[in-house]
Amino acid sequence: MKRHLTERELIEYQFKLASDVRMKQTAEHLDRCAQCRENLERLAKKFAALDLLREGAKVSEDLISQVMEQAGHPIRTGIVPFRKRAWISAAAVLLVGLLLLANHLGQERTKQREVTKELLPVVEEMKLEEKGDYYVSGTEKEAAAVAEGQTEDRIIADKAVIAMPERAIPEQPPFAPASAIELVTLPRRDKVQLTIYNSADLTLVRERRNLTLKKGWNWLQFMWANTLIDPTSLSLEPLAQAGKIDIQQLVFPARLRELGRWLIRSELSGQVPFEITYFTSGLSWRAFYMGTLSQDEKTMRLQGYVRVSNNSGEDYEQAQTRLIVGQVHLLDEIAELARRRYPYGRPGELIPLTEQPLSEQVVDYQRDLDQIRGRLNELIAKPKEITKEGLSEYFLYTIEGTETIPNEWGKRLLSFEAEDITVESLYKYDQQRWGDQTTRFVKCNNDQDHNLGQTPIPNGDVKIYSRADSAGLLSYVGGTSIKYIPVNEEIELNLGPARLVKVEPTLMDFKTDNYVFNRRNNITGWDEIRTWKIEITNTRTLPIEVEISRGFDTAYWTMQFYDKEVSYEKYDATHARFKVNLQPRSKYSFEYTVTTYHGTREETLSK
Amino acid sequence: MENTDKSLIEAHRQGDLKAFGELVRRYGDSILGYLMRMSGSHEQAEDLFQETFKRVHEKAHTFRGKQFKSWLFTIATRVAIDSLRRRRRLQVVSLEQKLDCADQNSEELGAVVLADNSYEPSQEAARAEQAEQVRQAIESLPTRQRATLVLAYYQQLSYREVAEVLGCSIGTVKTQIYRALRTLAQKLPDV
Repeated sequence: MKRHLTERELIEYQFKLASDVRMKQTAEHLDRCAQCRENLERLAKKFAALDLLREGAKVSEDLISQVMEQAGHPIRTGIVPFRKRAWISAAAVLLVGLLLLANHLGQERTKQREVTKELLPVVEEMKLEEKGDYYVSGTEKEAAAVAEGQTEDRIIADKAVIAMPERAIPEQPPFAPASAIELVTLPRRDKVQLTIYNSADLTLVRERRNLTLKKGWNWLQFMWANTLIDPTSLSLEPLAQAGKIDIQQLVFPARLRELGRWLIRSELSGQVPFEITYFTSGLSWRAFYMGTLSQDEKTMRLQGYVRVSNNSGEDYEQAQTRLIVGQVHLLDEIAELARRRYPYGRPGELIPLTEQPLSEQVVDYQRDLDQIRGRLNELIAKPKEITKEGLSEYFLYTIEGTETIPNEWGKRLLSFEAEDITVESLYKYDQQRWGDQTTRFVKCNNDQDHNLGQTPIPNGDVKIYSRADSAGLLSYVGGTSIKYIPVNEEIELNLGPARLVKVEPTLMDFKTDNYVFNRRNNITGWDEIRTWKIEITNTRTLPIEVEISRGFDTAYWTMQFYDKEVSYEKYDATHARFKVNLQPRSKYSFEYTVTTYHGTREETLSK
Repeated sequence: MENTDKSLIEAHRQGDLKAFGELVRRYGDSILGYLMRMSGSHEQAEDLFQETFKRVHEKAHTFRGKQFKSWLFTIATRVAIDSLRRRRRLQVVSLEQKLDCADQNSEELGAVVLADNSYEPSQEAARAEQAEQVRQAIESLPTRQRATLVLAYYQQLSYREVAEVLGCSIGTVKTQIYRALRTLAQKLPDV
């Protein structure tokens, strides 16, 4: 062995791991090689450190006592030794038992049929209940088993299970710490109904969810983070098995914001339908209308729409949507309640609404793109109808079917559509209200004669178009807002200034008369007499009706008017109203003289 | 005349608890030392010690003829390996364990210092540090290698006995020991 020893050879030599021949060869090499001896010594010194842990351990008397005490206990036998004689005896006993049981069953078969008949009504009832998704009691199980012809052995077995002492529900509800409690999972909504009030920022949400309860106390957690839900309005009601389920309380745990926990005491285990109701803000709807006048402007097609907008922070899928028209008295603004810090229902600092970070906006944008496809499909689908019904103080519109309204989305729905509504085009001139310009109106009634009148018409914006030619091209005529219009009331749509119809009043004469003096020769009364000429120009190609209102700033006035073509009426104490029909592209003028009485002359008129 | 292991275990099988007690005393120190080196903790070693002799007590009827010492170490090894597997999943730290890495050994070493005043404190500190390095190096070994090394080096079992305890050949024992030493040679500090 001319080469030097490897570390392996040194280790094997040091710890006598090599064979005898190898050990002898290594020893001979070491005798000759000083370097390998040095390596071995260095290695031996290194491994000498192992002896630092060589110090032996001493078992204490306590430890020995513990072991002996342990040994004093009966031994848990893991293996049952097979003893031939004992097994044969056991098998014989089992066989005899089975024979006796079979004989017994034969005798009892007739009795079972009778029992089955008695229990059938119960079973039928149970089967009906099984169509729902809630718990079936042990007794009902038993009846069902009999009805299905199971043997009495099985029933006895079931009885044994039923007879076992059931875990009693503790009287005291469990303490609800801030975390680490067993919660009933809040599943997805099965149904949701939205009732949106347009007079206030208020929506009533009714959700139906199937909750899986265990027998005993259950905690149900409801979170409303980033939504506008009013936590004080939360309510939970079981829709079945109400007698066995008790909603004890709703708690808002400290330090855990925007969540509430219901404590539910249940006498049964299983799935139970529940209804959760609450008010939320952020959902709104508004009505708007589109009217299309015929070419002769005698009839109009009116389409009513509602636009439902969801900014509540919550997506509502397949929601039945109902819209309420009417005023609601609110104690608080729901939006403020939702933003209020814990504890709820007390005055407190509001959490400021923050701007959404750009990164979240990008995420939302991506999500919105995904939703666009579904939304387009919905738009292509058949338009849904909105049914209406009257409530005691409000009017309720129910949108046919269900609607999915994601957060931050709006949805336009057709409310009604009426054809051939007879309308009157009317031009009004009232200097005190609209200045020197004539204003155009379209007028009809919300009644059956005008193909309307089925429901009140909610307030909203109206846009009026007109068919410009026989080809059906439309031109925008004007737009306005209307207020709530009850059934059988007049609808008057203000379309704005009319440039093709002009009304020009001109003062033709003015004089004073009938002065009254007191003892000191001061004037205490007089009359003012004005003669006005009203000239009306119709440059349109259609005949028109013009309504002219004139105000006198006093209730003491008399009118001298002689024109058979113009109708005149005293509209109110201070106003007179004239109505005149004009042919296409025509002018017409009339005059009137009005005497106003001032000072003590007013008494003359009173007499 | 001292009872043999076989006679004692036979007596125990017949219900003689004293015989069992004698076996515990006879092998207690050796088993506890082995378990301490395997587990690296005195407290755990005591728990494993109890578990080992509990199994010996329960399985006494399965003991068949071979060396009681080998059989006992076989049980202790299984108990230690099971414990190490569990500990890998869940690291258990005793509330009494000091944060100082010297932990329970420091007390014993302190006793040595009091007994032998010739030791210099600096030397003692270096020795304690070196001992800790050795302990950590041994703990880093794979379980099988550790058991082989501890049985052969510290418990002074012959390679044949180690093979019997671990249920393998002598050649395998030697290979395991060599691999363990090779690893230790890299990890132990040069002197």
